[in-house]
Amino acid sequence: MNDHTNKQFDAEMEAIRSGVLAMGGIVERQLRRAIGALQTDDDDGRFAAVTADEAAINRLQVSIDQQCAEIIARRQPAAVDLRMVLTVSKIVNDLERAGDEGKKIAYKAVETRSEPLTRVRHYDAARALDDAASMLRNALDAFARLDAPAAADTVARDAEIDAAFASILRQLVSYMMEDPRTITPALEIVFVAKSIERIGDHAKNIAEAVVQVVMGTDVRHASLDEIRAEVARR
Amino acid sequence: MNPVWRGLQAPAVVGGISVVAGWVGGASAALVALALGAPAIVAFHLWHLHLLTRWARASADADVPEGRGVWAPAFAAIYRRVRARNAYERELRNVIERFRQAASAIPDGIVVLDAANRIDWANARALTQFGLDLAKDRRRPIANLVRQPEFRRYVESGDYGASVVVTSEREAGHTLGLQLVPFAADQKLLIARDITEIEAVARMRRDFIASVSHELKTPLTVVSGFIETLQEADLDGPRRAHFLRLMQEQATSMQRLVADLLTLSALESDASPVHETRFAIAPLLSELLVDAKALSKDAHRVEVEALDDATVFAGREEIASAFGNLVSNAIRYTASGGSITLGWRVDADGSGVFTVRDTGIGIAPEHVPRLTERFYRVDRSRSRASGGTGLGLAIVKHVLLRHGAELEIASERGHGSTFAVRLPASRVERDTLIAARFANNDGGP
Repeated sequence: MNDHTNKQFDAEMEAIRSGVLAMGGIVERQLRRAIGALQTDDDDGRFAAVTADEAAINRLQVSIDQQCAEIIARRQPAAVDLRMVLTVSKIVNDLERAGDEGKKIAYKAVETRSEPLTRVRHYDAARALDDAASMLRNALDAFARLDAPAAADTVARDAEIDAAFASILRQLVSYMMEDPRTITPALEIVFVAKSIERIGDHAKNIAEAVVQVVMGTDVRHASLDEIRAEVARR
Repeated sequence: MNPVWRGLQAPAVVGGISVVAGWVGGASAALVALALGAPAIVAFHLWHLHLLTRWARASADADVPEGRGVWAPAFAAIYRRVRARNAYERELRNVIERFRQAASAIPDGIVVLDAANRIDWANARALTQFGLDLAKDRRRPIANLVRQPEFRRYVESGDYGASVVVTSEREAGHTLGLQLVPFAADQKLLIARDITEIEAVARMRRDFIASVSHELKTPLTVVSGFIETLQEADLDGPRRAHFLRLMQEQATSMQRLVADLLTLSALESDASPVHETRFAIAPLLSELLVDAKALSKDAHRVEVEALDDATVFAGREEIASAFGNLVSNAIRYTASGGSITLGWRVDADGSGVFTVRDTGIGIAPEHVPRLTERFYRVDRSRSRASGGTGLGLAIVKHVLLRHGAELEIASERGHGSTFAVRLPASRVERDTLIAARFANNDGGP
C-alpha cells in the first residue's frame, strides 16, 4: 500500500472509532433522560426526545456496521486493525441495546408514574441506573483511550449493578408480601430493574471488548481475576 | 592571538628542539626528540577531541569540559554560548510557565485543541470538568471524551459564534456552557464555563412569570365566568348569593397572592436593616399557638414544647410572619387527627432554634432543596385547594436571610416533616427555664 492509501485507511479507522463514541454519547444522553424520568414528574418533552434519539442510535448502528463491512471488504485489514473493526461492530451492538433499555426505562417510568412504591422507583432505581450509566461512561472512556486496565476495572463494577438489582428485587418482594395490591406496579419496576441490570451487562461487554482489542485475547468468558492477570501480563 | 598560530607553537618548539638536538647530538638525537615530541602533541589534541565529543554526546545539561593550552579559548567560547543559551531557555520556560499558571488559575475550564480538534493541553479545572488525564489523553479527539451529542455537533459544525450548553457527565447536576475560540494558525481554545447557577436563575425567572400569570389567571377565569352568568341568566336570590360567595373566595385568594407578592418584593428590594426590637419568645409562641388552633379548627392536636425561654433581638413582625408561615404550612399538609408540635430551644452554642414538627404527608428528598423557590409546589392541586399561594416559604427564606438565620428541613415521606429555624447566637439571650409553663397545655395558654 502506498502512503496515500495508508492515510485514507487510517482516516477510515478513525472514523469508525469516533462513530462508536458519537453513538455512545447519544446513548449516554438517553440514559440521563431515563434517570430524569425516574426522578421527576415533569416531562419537558422528554418523551419525544427519547424517541428521536432512539432513531438516531439505530441509524448510527446501521451506518457504522456498514463502514466496518466496507473496510473488511476493500482493505482486508490484518492483526490489530482487523481486531479493531470486529470489536467496533460488537460494541455498536451492545450500545444499541443499552440505548434500547434506556428507552424502555423512560417509557416505563412515565407509565408507572401514578403508582405507589415511588420510593423504590425514585431512589433505588434511579441510583442503580446512575451507577450503570457511569459504568457505561467508564467503558466508553476506556475505549477512547484504549486503556485495558481501566476496562478491567469497569468489568469489575458489573458486580455492583447486579447487587443493586438483587436488592431492589428483595425490597419489591417484601412490599408484595405485605400488600398484594402492590404486585402489578412492583412487576413494572422489576422490568425497570432488569433493564438497568442489562445496561450493566452491555457496559461490561464493551469493557471486555476493549481488553480484547488492546491485548488481543478473548476475555469474554474469563473470570475477573483472569482478566486482571491478562491485563497485568503486559 | 589566532588559535591556529598558537596551535603551531608546540610543533614549532618540538621542531626547534629536534633541530638543536640534531646539531648538537647528530641525526639520531634529532629523531629521538621528534619521536617523543610529536606523539605527545597528537595525544594532547586527541584527548581534547575526546573531551569535546564526549560532551557533545552527553545530555544537554552536561558541563562543558575545561580545555588546556590552545583548546582553552575554544572551550571557553563554547561554555559562554551554552550559558547564554541556558539563560535564554530558562527565561522562555518561565514565560511559558507563567502563562500556564495564569491559564490554570482561570476558574473556567480551558482546553487547547490542535487543528484536528485533538487535546493538546488543559488546565486543572478542565481536567476535572471533563474527567481528562493529560498523560493518557493528549492527541485524542476531544469529542471522543466529551461525548455529549450537542457538543460533537457544535465541533463539527465549524460555526463557533455562539456557545453550546451541555449537561455535565462527570459532575452530576452541573450545566456547562462550551465555547470554541480559534487562535493562532489552526488551533482552538475550548472554554468551559459552569453555568449551573445562571441556568437555575434563568429557569426560576421564567417559572416565576409563568406561575404568577397562571396563579392569577385561574381565579380570574372563574370570576369572569360567574360575572357572565350573572349578567345573562336571571337567577334567584339564593343562587345569586352562592355565586357571589364563590367569587368572593376567588377574589380573596387573588388578594392573598398579591399581598404575598408585595411582601416578597418589599423584602427583596429593601436593603435597609430590619426594624429590630428585643422581645420575649414565650408570648410569640403563645400567639402562634392561638393562630394555629384557629386555622386547624380543632382538627389537629397542636402543642408547644418549649425548653428554654429567651429574649430575641430581631424584627418581630417579620419573624412572627415567618414562623406563622411554617405553622400554617404544617397544618395545611397534615391530615385531620395529626399532631403539630411547636418547639423552641437554645442550643449549646447559643443559637436559638424554633421548630415546627408535624405528622403530615412529608416531602420527598428531591423536592427539599427547591421548596423555598417561589411557586415551587410538590403537589400543585393540593397546595391550591388548601389555600396556599406558593410564596410562603420564599417569604420565610427572605426573612431568615435578613436575620442571618437558617432554615433546616428534615422530612420523610409519609412520616411528617420538621422545619427548624436557627437564629444566630448574636440575636438570642437565654432566660430562665420555662418548660413548666408550657407543660401539658393542651387547653392553650
